[in-house]
Amino acid sequence: MGKDTKKVSGTIDGRETSVPRGSILLRAALDLGIGVPTLCHHPGLPPDGNCRLCSAETGGRLVASCLYPLRDDGFVVQTRSPLVVEARRFVLGLLLSRAPADGYLLGLAGEYGAKADPRLADGADGCVRCGRCLRACRAAGSEAIALVGRGWGRKVAGPFYEPPIDCVGCLACAQACPTGAIAFSEEPRSIWGRDFGLARCGSCGAILGTPGELARSGVEVTLCPSCRRREYSRAVASLPPAQS
Amino acid sequence: MRLSDPIELEALRAVLAQGPAPVRRLWVCGGPGCLAAGAGRVQEALQAAAGEMGLAASVEYRTDLTGCLGLCERGPLVGVEPEGFLYGRVGPGDAMELVAETLLAGRLVGRLAADPDLPAGSDQPFYRPQTRLVMRRFGRVRPDSLEDYLASGGYAALGLALAGLSPGEVSRRVEESGLRGRGGGGFPAGRKWASCREAKGPAKYVVANGDEGDPGAFMNRSLMEGDPFSIIEGLTLGAYAIGAGKGFIYVRHEYPLSVERLGLAIGEAVSRGLLGPDILGSGFSLDLETVEGGGAFVCGESTSLMASIEGREGQPRVKYVRSTEKGLWDCPTLLQNVETWANVPPIVERGPDWFRSLGSDRNPGTKVFSLVGQVRRSGLVEMPLGSPIRAIVKDVGGGARPGRRLKAVQTGGPSGGCLPDGALDLPLDFDSLTAAGAIMGSGGLIVMDDLSCMVDVARYFTGFLMGESCGKCAPCREGLVLIHRILDGLCRGHGRRGDAAELSRLADMLSRTALCGLGQSAANPLLSTLRHFGEEYREHEEEGFCRSGRCQGLFQPLIDPEACTGCGASQKVCPAGAVRGAGKKPREVDAAGCVSCGACLQACRFGAAKAVPRPGRG
Amino acid sequence: MASVDLNLVDEILRTRPPEPRHLLALLQEIQARFRYLPKEAMLAVAGYLDVPLARVFSVAGFYKALSLTPKGERLVTVCQGTACHLRGASGLVGALEKRLGIGLGQTSADGRYGLESVNCLGACALAPVATVDGTVHGHLSPSKALELV
Repeated sequence: MGKDTKKVSGTIDGRETSVPRGSILLRAALDLGIGVPTLCHHPGLPPDGNCRLCSAETGGRLVASCLYPLRDDGFVVQTRSPLVVEARRFVLGLLLSRAPADGYLLGLAGEYGAKADPRLADGADGCVRCGRCLRACRAAGSEAIALVGRGWGRKVAGPFYEPPIDCVGCLACAQACPTGAIAFSEEPRSIWGRDFGLARCGSCGAILGTPGELARSGVEVTLCPSCRRREYSRAVASLPPAQS
Repeated sequence: MRLSDPIELEALRAVLAQGPAPVRRLWVCGGPGCLAAGAGRVQEALQAAAGEMGLAASVEYRTDLTGCLGLCERGPLVGVEPEGFLYGRVGPGDAMELVAETLLAGRLVGRLAADPDLPAGSDQPFYRPQTRLVMRRFGRVRPDSLEDYLASGGYAALGLALAGLSPGEVSRRVEESGLRGRGGGGFPAGRKWASCREAKGPAKYVVANGDEGDPGAFMNRSLMEGDPFSIIEGLTLGAYAIGAGKGFIYVRHEYPLSVERLGLAIGEAVSRGLLGPDILGSGFSLDLETVEGGGAFVCGESTSLMASIEGREGQPRVKYVRSTEKGLWDCPTLLQNVETWANVPPIVERGPDWFRSLGSDRNPGTKVFSLVGQVRRSGLVEMPLGSPIRAIVKDVGGGARPGRRLKAVQTGGPSGGCLPDGALDLPLDFDSLTAAGAIMGSGGLIVMDDLSCMVDVARYFTGFLMGESCGKCAPCREGLVLIHRILDGLCRGHGRRGDAAELSRLADMLSRTALCGLGQSAANPLLSTLRHFGEEYREHEEEGFCRSGRCQGLFQPLIDPEACTGCGASQKVCPAGAVRGAGKKPREVDAAGCVSCGACLQACRFGAAKAVPRPGRG
Repeated sequence: MASVDLNLVDEILRTRPPEPRHLLALLQEIQARFRYLPKEAMLAVAGYLDVPLARVFSVAGFYKALSLTPKGERLVTVCQGTACHLRGASGLVGALEKRLGIGLGQTSADGRYGLESVNCLGACALAPVATVDGTVHGHLSPSKALELV
């Protein structure tokens, strides 16, 4: 669809809008100021559509708004119809059974009247299997962890269920996790059962990152951004005036 | 020897079709059921017996393995050409007699006849109502022989296409035939062809889905092993029509023989110039390969299947852009079930009007069904679409087994539904089944009698799907577990008030919110049993009673002295020695000793043993 | 764990070009030869195909045909297809579990027996059925199933 310049018009929650053909519904709704709850979605990562929380109704069926392209003129979308509300209550109940103490989910659960079913209580480990961690890891340039297994038993793990050997300790996964399910320490650096040394700014001593993280970026860095700026201005100031 | 153009192909086909036919032939069924029952050993014994009689190298008298003969219930089967006799339950020890009496002398061996009153298979009620199109070569050719395929009309369509039909014309014939996808929902094949033909991409692909995963379904396996060339010719025509240069046949992991047969057939076709580079001198090329699945039901879903071919986990993706535009490696991909592909050559050869003359208006053609479960005659059946369910279950299958009453027919595998006996007049076509809350699926037809508990059936299918859920989306990953736990509680007598209502809500939401087609249909077994057999749910929930005598501890057997013949079958199987009585007198169940396992109910052939509520429950 | 014959692994790898799409096929071939996926072999596959190890492991953990621990020398597989279920497959499983002292999907401590289920073998007319090392046995009862082991 990509570079389609044609525009399509329709309504979201009764409000008229016109967007480039192929625009993603979630984006279009947010642009109108219509809030849609999300969980597996992260604006900086490729969408996956697995949590189903952002479901919206169009043409009598539910679609994942984080992935649904608006392709036809005259679209009519409801983001808060009774069906959508019921679907969110259902999905929230299931997600909550995995992360029963998560504040964000509890807030939504209150809003939608959702409860975790005690019959799923043994699944509670804080992780909602949304895969944001994996996508963040990949976006950062590694692929150290994966969702392993299938169905109910699927969980995030390193190869062989061991501390992941390709992990560089950048913490991108933990920062992307919506439920704070990944335990880590910033300083001293440790995550996924591995400890990492830290490279520091040669001037002020601020943390630059782990050696693996710096190597992955491919650029040799010895100073933190602010010290680097300072060094640069000094260098410019000390240059001889330009000839002619 | 390579065929260099369509004219050479025609000449070879003509020679083969007129070649010396054997005087008589014993066809040993090589279908999945018969192979499992020892057909391979029967075939070896027949060969050995023929050798002993000096017929080993004979072209006149032959014994060969062929595709599925259908009547699996009586396997291993042996068919006789030209007499048409059908033998059943043949063992290696019968080989000498069959060779001497039937192969040489053409006489019937009565004691081996599948039906002694009707020795010719085609006269039997199992075969009479059938129309064999996809299965037309089963029982007539050796599946691994390209010569046999050519002699029986094979590659006529490809020859015709490459001699003068444009790719657009080939596509048009399929579009106008009204052919619908045989693997599931019955999506119009022609729309896929047209869309894929118009789509642009750096490459295009054709894919055959042979990942037959529905339990109780073996029609695709029978086809891949019984007529592999028909699938390959279909794919070749499809590739020609849309402009694909590469194709894959994805085969279920559990079917090693299918992988082998298709691989050999691909090799044969390539060596004859019917596949590979520059097919029949036309300049059109197709590289075809088989891919073996890894044992994951979800890979039958098209987007998961493509992920698997790409070497990744079989995870579905959200399908707002069709595979015909962005499929394998984001290129236009024409993916169809193997049975759909096998329908293509006759359509291209004989035209859309001929195809539309079979089946019903919106559902032209035939469909292969595997008829299994609590039915008298299990087997592989091909019927015109739109035939009433009754024609298959009662006429072909013979209805419920002695002493039992038919309760439900389950169609479409784990994505399908259970229909009550009142639905027997429903036509078997894509739309009628969907409207009734079931689906056609790949064509599994499972008959259930009054000893099948519908709550247990829902638990079985939900358990199956729970184990096969890929775990990507929350509704399927978590929701199926919750549903299964509630169903399990009902079947174990731990039901709670409101369970059925809660199941109904969960099932509805699961089907609306799941990510892929499999998740969206995963609630169908539950929804259809709730809809048609709600009373059984109520009994489990409120009374702790299973009327079918299936859920242990939720019933007590009672033997009706009027109906009991005193045959003693129930006594023999009772593990607790709780069935009392002797001689020809009616038996009695000692309630104190009974462990409520239901073995006596299963054993009774006269419908005398019934399940009644346990005293003190409810 | 006994050391893994890396020459054999290497031989398997060289049967296919180093394209990521062959990941599943290579793992299946390794599974067929070793009866499981040794860690060393998965590392070799990741290196050969230039695929992240995490992806190799997730594929290994996803498909039922692949196993991270050695499968039993004799594999007893009970069909759990619908026809077999209706005709009493669960009774066969119960009897075999009791006799072998292992659950479905497990291998006996001495490594001799493995007990598994399969979703359908297409031999529904013979239901209930089980296979021992690939040979199908039909019309089974719990007692007949025990004679298989």
